[in-house]
Amino acid sequence: MNDQFNNDNNHDKIDEILNQEIPSADSNAQKIAINSALSAFTKEHTVTSHQGSSESTRPIANEGALSSTKSIWRSLMKFLNSLNNNKAFAGVAVGVACLSVVSILPSTFSSQQNAIDVYNKSKSNSAIGQIADSDAKQLIVAGIENRVELESQITNLEEIVVTTHRQSDFIQDAPVAIELNKVEHPYARKTKKVQSMREPSASFDMGFSLSDQEISPQIYETEEYANAPINKIKLTSESPVSTFSIDVDTASYSLIRNQLNSGYLPPSDAVRVEEMINYFDYAYPLPTSESAPFKATTQVLDSPWNKDKKLVHIGIQGYDIDTSEKPDSNLVFLLDVSGSMGQANKLPLVKQSIGLLLSTLKADDKVSIVVYAGAAGVVLKPTKAQNKDEILAALNRLQAGGSTAGGAGIELAYQLAQKNFIEGGVNRIILATDGDFNVGQSSNDELKKLVERKRKNGVMLSVLGFGRGNYQDDMMQTLAQNGNGVAAYIDSLSEAKKVLVDEASSTLFTIAKDVKLQLEFNPEVVSEYRLVGYETRQLQREDFNNDKVDAGDIGSGHSVTAIYEIGLSGSESNTIAPLRYTTKQNDNSSPSGEIGFLKIRYKLPKESTSKLIETPIKMAKTDTSADTQFSIAVASFGQKLSGDKYNPELSYSDIAVLAKRHLGNDPYGHKAEFIQLVEMANLLNKQ
Amino acid sequence: MLNDITLINQCQNGNSKAFEELLNRYYDTIYRFAYRWCGDQHNAQDITQSACLKLAKSLSTFDKRSSFTSWLYRLVINCAKDFYKSPTQHNVREQYDPEAEQISADDHTRRLYAQQVLEHIDTLSPDLKDTLILIHGTGLSHQAAAIQLGIKESTVSWRIHEARKILKQTFSSSTLANDIEAGATL
Repeated sequence: MNDQFNNDNNHDKIDEILNQEIPSADSNAQKIAINSALSAFTKEHTVTSHQGSSESTRPIANEGALSSTKSIWRSLMKFLNSLNNNKAFAGVAVGVACLSVVSILPSTFSSQQNAIDVYNKSKSNSAIGQIADSDAKQLIVAGIENRVELESQITNLEEIVVTTHRQSDFIQDAPVAIELNKVEHPYARKTKKVQSMREPSASFDMGFSLSDQEISPQIYETEEYANAPINKIKLTSESPVSTFSIDVDTASYSLIRNQLNSGYLPPSDAVRVEEMINYFDYAYPLPTSESAPFKATTQVLDSPWNKDKKLVHIGIQGYDIDTSEKPDSNLVFLLDVSGSMGQANKLPLVKQSIGLLLSTLKADDKVSIVVYAGAAGVVLKPTKAQNKDEILAALNRLQAGGSTAGGAGIELAYQLAQKNFIEGGVNRIILATDGDFNVGQSSNDELKKLVERKRKNGVMLSVLGFGRGNYQDDMMQTLAQNGNGVAAYIDSLSEAKKVLVDEASSTLFTIAKDVKLQLEFNPEVVSEYRLVGYETRQLQREDFNNDKVDAGDIGSGHSVTAIYEIGLSGSESNTIAPLRYTTKQNDNSSPSGEIGFLKIRYKLPKESTSKLIETPIKMAKTDTSADTQFSIAVASFGQKLSGDKYNPELSYSDIAVLAKRHLGNDPYGHKAEFIQLVEMANLLNKQ
Repeated sequence: MLNDITLINQCQNGNSKAFEELLNRYYDTIYRFAYRWCGDQHNAQDITQSACLKLAKSLSTFDKRSSFTSWLYRLVINCAKDFYKSPTQHNVREQYDPEAEQISADDHTRRLYAQQVLEHIDTLSPDLKDTLILIHGTGLSHQAAAIQLGIKESTVSWRIHEARKILKQTFSSSTLANDIEAGATL
């Protein structure tokens, strides 16, 4: 041994050490490390607050005493997740299909190569591997590439599973619980090792147990939000046209409410102002004739947050389908029953929520349920809504367990929806998840393509988000936006009631799709403008007339609001100073008094060419309704939470006052709750 | 872009934005230090994470007498040592990963040898140490290191040469090998 290190040999060794190739670090590991260090840092500086004057920072999630609870919470979550991986696979098999093999994909592995590795390793170790070698391999590949038609595979597998498994796991009437398999899974251990080591600071705290209820949602650095930088002020002379897609989602508001109620200001990324505004129901004028599915009402009013500016308020009200005209529905619930869904605010709430939705369905509407966890399977074959007990019984048998294999689940759900397709009816998958959606190549992009393809076949996808801690807001947005569906975040039974009962028809029935707005400003009147919100919904000017470009949908009875802040020409307080050398255009062709010209493009649900609605926006003095004013209060709140750049003059208490003054009709108390939230934000902001 | 010293000053005043920037700027450096120490990606990431945490807690003690990179180097080496000492890490490894990363005795010895070399770098004179760490730790080119240190490129090359020479001399003695043998049985 000694010789090995002597002299000459030694020289090379030093160089070898110094010049060793270093593979780059995993970006996820980097994110985790930076986030945990950041919260340790803020803790260090807020708890001890040494070093005199610390710079004021937003009291966001990762500050103060919360962070210690956070690390415990996170380590617990990891611990739970790793336990779930121990349940080598979940035996869900009532009805047609069981893709048990998919369970051997642990959630941490995403690339194809990894999947194959896992497959190869598990082949020798797990019972599953011995069952259906070739089918299993094919299925994994299918899960990854989404290419192979799954149907034939499913049939194959079903036979094999039934014949090789002992006991009654797969008998039709067996309880649809997730079986805890006793086979110790080699990768479960491996995963545990990796996961616990990711968290060195907390790895000693593993020995305790807390029930879910004792852990209040705290700080979730693992959540990912979809957002884009705040819209900038634009000069009318440079870009007179603003184009965007409507957005009827409400998820951002519920997420923010949840965060505020947990005692901290939401990170600015979580704020999508338009989703906050559109959370509320505004009684805009209804369309008068049925020829157009919606009506747009525009108003111009003073901006409450900047006395020198005006607001252009566009309210779009969708036509409300009469109950008797409601189309038949074919709904497939795709439920995440992975281990993380076990908490009270997740799977149990999902069950309750679906129970609520059932009451709004027609007797002949069909409901099916597909679950995914370690395995994906059908737990309820298409069943008429009138057999409510049967549906509820299937729901109640569900338990959370296993890791997440969303890719196979979503394929299966689409298949079922397609099989029971109702021509001219509502064909929709409703995905309920806490966020982790482990498809083969779990990138948002892959999934986006799949959902897009299926949408073209007429199956829509809506997303209901549940729970916190792992919520992948961006993934949920991707799915819903591309599936022509609504993304809602459900944190309480009352929210479930709002989305699934009070607004059931707008959630389910599309009255117009690919709705795009284009507003051309008159440079003689408007010198600058800024669209409030809709950052993630911006379109190119040329996309407006291109019917191939996808955009948001309007459901029955939906109202959508868009607000522009404008600076009038000649006003000295405009944010962008006029240029010295621009020649003033003196054509008097534009009709005076018009602020701009609004165009709305939409398609009727069954059509593929768009229709156009056009209306000029006039400067006329109108009485603004309480609803309009309330929507503006929500807009100011959203802007304030998202960074306050353009909202200089309104404090949280001003916003609360504004909202209170314009409470109007508030049958469900949502507006009153909004005021509570503003006041909560006010308090938190002072801390 | 703020320079490092300004950034560190802001961090020491409790500015979390600045600290975030600092972490982003130095994550790779820390990771590279750690990787040299342990020689595999997963452990390097774990060591890096604990080094980031340590940095959050102890940045206020950095007194700017040495260069930040060198100070950081020592911090990472200490974290790496703690990482291997931690009973939890050993338990985890033995319990969950009996065959996957079976380290041969040779690998183990080589690793210990590398660690001794890396530790020894910390004892070099400040100039040699700073330069060596910039070049081989953070992976800068001689030119970039010269700019950062405010010296000529030829000086950088000379210092690297010197530092290597010292390391090679130090580690040519047979006592080292004995140390390693002893270390291997720990």
